Amino acid sequence: MEAVTTPERTEAPPARREFLRRAAHRLARAAGVAFWVMVIAFGLIRLAPGDPVLARLGAEAAPAAIEKMRRDLRLDVDPVTQFAEYSWGLLHGRLGTSIETQRDVMEIIMTSLPVTLWIIAITIIMAMAMAVPLALAVAMTRRAAVPYIFRASTSVLLAIPAFFTALIALIVFGLHYGVAPIIGYEPGFPANLRYLWLPALVICTHLVPVLSRVLHSSIVETMGEEFVETGVIRGVSRPRFYWFYLLKPSLAPTIVLLSYMVGVMIGSTVIIETIFSLPGIGRSLVGAVIGRDYPLVQGIVLVFGILVVAVSLIGDVLANWLDPRVDMS
Amino acid sequence: MIAGAATRPYREGRIGIAVGTTMLVAMLAAGLLVPLLSAYHPNELIAIPFQSPSWEFLFGTDQLGRDVFTRVFAAVYRDLGVAFLGVSIPLVIGTAVGILLSIAHNRILVALIASLIDAINALPLLVLAIALIALFGPGLQSIVLVLAMTNWARYARIARTRATLVNQQAYIEAARLLGYPRSRILLRHFVPNVSSETVAYALSDFILVIMLIAGLSFLSLGAAPPTAEWGVMMSEGRPFVQNAWWMTIFPGLALCWAGIALSFIAEGLSRRERGPGG
Repeated sequence: MEAVTTPERTEAPPARREFLRRAAHRLARAAGVAFWVMVIAFGLIRLAPGDPVLARLGAEAAPAAIEKMRRDLRLDVDPVTQFAEYSWGLLHGRLGTSIETQRDVMEIIMTSLPVTLWIIAITIIMAMAMAVPLALAVAMTRRAAVPYIFRASTSVLLAIPAFFTALIALIVFGLHYGVAPIIGYEPGFPANLRYLWLPALVICTHLVPVLSRVLHSSIVETMGEEFVETGVIRGVSRPRFYWFYLLKPSLAPTIVLLSYMVGVMIGSTVIIETIFSLPGIGRSLVGAVIGRDYPLVQGIVLVFGILVVAVSLIGDVLANWLDPRVDMS
Repeated sequence: MIAGAATRPYREGRIGIAVGTTMLVAMLAAGLLVPLLSAYHPNELIAIPFQSPSWEFLFGTDQLGRDVFTRVFAAVYRDLGVAFLGVSIPLVIGTAVGILLSIAHNRILVALIASLIDAINALPLLVLAIALIALFGPGLQSIVLVLAMTNWARYARIARTRATLVNQQAYIEAARLLGYPRSRILLRHFVPNVSSETVAYALSDFILVIMLIAGLSFLSLGAAPPTAEWGVMMSEGRPFVQNAWWMTIFPGLALCWAGIALSFIAEGLSRRERGPGG
C-alpha cells in the first residue's frame, strides 16, 4: 500500500506548481484583455461620427443644453484626461450617470444583471442535463443511422434563429397552452423559475446542439482509448464506467466550449429578454441604444466584456484541472 | 469494410451540399421571380388588412394590407446581399491582418494589434454591434459598417494561426531561397493557403450574420419600416401574433430556410474536407 502511494505524493507538488504557474499566466492574459475591453468601452463615444451630443439632442437644441451635456459627458476635456478620470472612477465603482433617467449606471446594472445571470445559469443547467445523456446515447448506439440523424438535426436547429424560436414558443406555450407567463417577472430564486424556464429552453435549442456535438465527438475519441477497454474487461459498474471512464476524460473540451458559449449566450439574451419582456441587462442595453444613453451603453458593454473574460478564464482553468493535457491558452 | 467507412462521410457531405445548394438556388430564384411576376408591389397597400392566407394572398396580408408573400421574397436579396457584404468585407480585412501579423517584425505593434483582436473577440458580436449602432444610428449601412469594424477580428485570429503554420512550411522557405519577391510569396503562397481556412469559416459565419441582421432589424436597430426585410416584418407582426400569425411566421420561415440551406452546405463541405472519421 505504502509503496503505491509514495511516488504519487512526491510527484504531486511539481504538478500543482505547474498548474498554478499556467493559471497565473492565463490570469495575466485575462487582465490584459480586460484592459482592452475597458479601452473599447471608453472609446465608443469618441468613435462617433459627427457630434454625439448633437445626435442625442437634435440640431435645434439650445446651446446651453448642448454645453451642459458636453460637460456632463466630459467631452470638453482632452481624451487622455478623460480616460484618466474614467479609469479613476472605475476603480471606485463609478460608471457615470444615465442621461435618460439620471440614475447611477452602476445601480441600473446591479438591478438588471441578476436577471440575466439567472437566465444563463438556468440555461446551462438545462442544457447540460440534456446534452450529456444525448451525447452518451448517440456515442453508445450501434445503429449506423443515428449519428447522421443527430448531425443533420443539430445543424437544422442551429440554423433557426433564437428570436424566431422564442416567438413560436411564446405563441405555443404562452398564448395557446397558457403554461408560461408572457410578460412580467418576479425576483428571487424559486419564484423566478416560472418566468425563466421558457426563455432558458429557447436558448437551449442552440446550446444543446453545440455542446452535445462536441461532447459526442470527444466521447467517441475517448472510447478508442485503451483504458476504456480495460474498464470493460474489469467489469466496472455501469455508473462508475460512464463517469470515470467515458465522461470525465471527455468533458474538458465541452467545458472550454461552454465558457465560450456563455459569451454567445450573453449576446442572445439581449434579444430573448426583449421578446419575453424580462428586466435583464440585455433589454437595458437595447433601451439605452435606442435612447442614445451613452454612459449606460458604455457601462453595459464594459460589464459584458468583463463577464465574458472572467467566464472564459474560469472555463480554461477548470478544463485544465479536469484534464491537464488541455492547453490553457 | 474500409472502403465503405472511407466513402460514407464523403457521400454524406455530397448529399448535404446538394440539398443545401438546391434550397439556396430555389430561394434566390424565387427572390428574383416573385417580385417580378407578382401582381402586387411589396410596399403597396392593395387589400383589406389581416387577411389570412388564401389562394389570392398565399401568405395573407399584413396590418396595412400589403401582400406578405411578395414582401417575403422581395426581401431575399436585401437580407442575403447585406449579409454577403457583412461577411466578405471582414473576411478580406481579417485575412490580410492575420497574414501581416504572422510575418511582421515590429513586436510591439504585433502585440498591440493582437490584444485588440483578443478584446474585440471577447465581446459578444451582437453586444458590440448594438453598442456601435448607438453611435452610427440604425440602418442597414450601419450594420455593414459595424460588421466591418468588429467581425474582422475573428477572421484575423484564424488567419494568424494558419499563417504562422504556413510560415513554417518548406515551400515558403524554398520560395525565399529562390529569391522570389515578398509580394509574390504573399500573394501566391500565403493568401491561397490561409484563405482556404478563413473562407471555410466565412460560410458558417454567413449564417450568424444573416441572423444578426434580421435580429438587429427585429430590435428596430437595423432596417426600418416600410422596408421589406425579414426582421422588420417579424417585428411588425409581433403585436398581432395572436390573430395574424402569418405576418411573423412566414418571414421567420424564410430566414430559417436560408440558414438551413447554408448550414447544410457548410457542414457538407467540412465533412468532405475532413474525410473519413472526421
